[in-house]
Amino acid sequence: MSILQRAAWVSAVGVSIVVGGQVASAGEVRLGGAGATFPAPLYTKWVAEYEKVNPSVKIDYRSIGSGGGVKSITDKTVAFGASDAPLNKKEIDAMGGEDKVVQFPAVIGGVVPAYNLPGVKETIKFSGDVLADIFLGKISSWDDPRLQELNSGVNLPKLAITPAFRTDGSGTTHVFTSYLATQSPTFKGEVGAGNQVKWPLGQGGKGNEGVAAVIQQTAGSIGYIEQNYAVANKIAYGSVKNKAGQFILATPDTMSLAGDGAAATLKGTILRADIWDQPGEKTYPISAFTYIILYKDLSNIKTADEAKALVSFLKWATSSGQSLATQMDYAPLSDNVRKAVDAAIASLTHDGKPVQIK
Amino acid sequence: MTTDANAISSSSASNPSGGRRADSIFRRFNVGDALLGLICRTSAVVIALMLASLVLVLLSSAMPAIREFGLGFLVSREWRVNELERPLRDAAGQIVMQDGEVVTETIKPAFGALPVIYGTAVSSALALLFAVPLSLGAALFLVRVAPTLRIAGPLSFLIEFLAAIPSLAYGIWGLFVLAPFLQTTVGPAFQNTLQNVPGLRWMFFETVTISGKLVERPIPMTGRDMLCGSLVLAIMILPIVTSVSRDVLKAVPRTQIEGTLALGATWWQSCIAMLRYGRAGLFGAVMLGLARAAGETMAITMVIGNNNQINPSPFAPAQTMASLLANEFAEASEGLHRSSLLYVALVLLAMSLVFNIVARRLVIGTTSPAGH
Repeated sequence: MSILQRAAWVSAVGVSIVVGGQVASAGEVRLGGAGATFPAPLYTKWVAEYEKVNPSVKIDYRSIGSGGGVKSITDKTVAFGASDAPLNKKEIDAMGGEDKVVQFPAVIGGVVPAYNLPGVKETIKFSGDVLADIFLGKISSWDDPRLQELNSGVNLPKLAITPAFRTDGSGTTHVFTSYLATQSPTFKGEVGAGNQVKWPLGQGGKGNEGVAAVIQQTAGSIGYIEQNYAVANKIAYGSVKNKAGQFILATPDTMSLAGDGAAATLKGTILRADIWDQPGEKTYPISAFTYIILYKDLSNIKTADEAKALVSFLKWATSSGQSLATQMDYAPLSDNVRKAVDAAIASLTHDGKPVQIK
Repeated sequence: MTTDANAISSSSASNPSGGRRADSIFRRFNVGDALLGLICRTSAVVIALMLASLVLVLLSSAMPAIREFGLGFLVSREWRVNELERPLRDAAGQIVMQDGEVVTETIKPAFGALPVIYGTAVSSALALLFAVPLSLGAALFLVRVAPTLRIAGPLSFLIEFLAAIPSLAYGIWGLFVLAPFLQTTVGPAFQNTLQNVPGLRWMFFETVTISGKLVERPIPMTGRDMLCGSLVLAIMILPIVTSVSRDVLKAVPRTQIEGTLALGATWWQSCIAMLRYGRAGLFGAVMLGLARAAGETMAITMVIGNNNQINPSPFAPAQTMASLLANEFAEASEGLHRSSLLYVALVLLAMSLVFNIVARRLVIGTTSPAGH
């Protein structure tokens, strides 16, 4: 072997090492998700924790709102979408029909009636019809007999009630109005349910922070905000009478029970259940799932490896990740719900082949 | 505007004819001139195109709402994004039953801009009411008093500095300082003194329709209401109204002022004569302030209470066109909802355009020929 040949050999090995190195760094997987703002803090935490378990997977979740999440996954610009409201028929059709879509709950959230009542230390008790009448304007003072009846022993002040509501479209409004519509026919007929409704009176705020600002600044105000936002910002909130007649304060445990009550109805690959007003002694009545939405065949994701990484992440998030949910004041999925979610995730394929996870 | 155009065309016509013989070769090949000319023309065209494309995009996106509601959009009060499902009632008001079940009717979402047009009009008008007297007073002071005290410079700077503060800062100040003050002090003071005055009940009570019945209830004093919004707007339009008024008053010929004084007018009377002489320009200054008030977004969203309602009370929350867009646009995915919001934006744009055109004509008409 001449010196020249030897030099060529060495350089060829060198090149292959360099190329090999590039392949190794390209093994890093980047995935995008977008949607609901309500679970965004948890999803961001999941992503950060999952990177510790599996450093080669980088997931970027953008909280652009539920509507934007559904649009992004429909347009295939993200690997997964997230939405507080389940897909409706029209949205499923836009994605290609029921056998093309996978949807499952990722975690449970609750909406609480938060209020500002100076001088009142006790937790105020509400019932669905009283809440509906407060937001309709029928009950206009805190010393109203119907509030006093629910809160015997509490010295309720003679103070005007200022209802506060969300002005932007949101899953929080959807859950709260859907619940009130089940409790009061008048509310259902005049305000109705939806991501954004026309409130007959009160003050509007944009986002949880907007409503919280109204509540914190106005004595006598009451508004609906997400339970974990109220906890994080130390805003007082009341307990709500559930179907069994008990007054329940929203906590991860009581909201989790609401999901468990609906587990039997979760079937197939498009899981959805309205879990407000569920039966059970300790169930919090204004709870809801927040959903992750995917194409059943992950052809919007380029390689099988990337699909595998996404499915592993989703499996991790709905199992080990659930304990993080509790820490961050979201309610975890119960075991019965997780069984249905596992089945839905197992149905995911990539280019027609099942995604194999070790 | 026509006088300006004439002046430019006449000067450009006279210049080449004089200079052509002397340095015609140099002029003809001056790259700098040609380049600058090109840049200027392109900039002018680009700006015009930008405005035109803005209008076109707005118009085309608002088209579904324009087709659906037409001009009725401008006078309709209902703004409801969600569908309603309620029991069908017959002419006698009885719920219609069929086979033992309640028959329901579905009411489609409805969009009407009257509440936000009302909110914009009233908040801007109130803002002018608060700001214009202050601005005219300050402008008169700057022109007639401050120069003799040698403080015109620093004072003008301070007033113009108000215009450089970002609107978010005004909003935060309004939310955390002004609103609590109105809520705890000003509102209750008005309530205690005026509540029982006959004819002023509408200021402190509102009627809500529940199940077809009118229920009267006191308006809670929250501090985030039409009054707070108007006050914040007033502070925000102060600088522009003051500085334009000052320029208009400066343009009043000295001979006019001296003339009034010669005729025996007091200082006060000559000030009035000065205001009267510049009234068209001053009106223009007010219109510029109005345009700014109508389009203000961030600050007003934080303090006006954000309720799409028409309530005559200054203590009731309201909504303006700009604050409606700020509140709802980001999450508006529904076709007709989004399109209706863009229709509102189009109305706002048209309104601002009219204010600005009127204001420009009036201000230019007074300041340029009379000033020199």
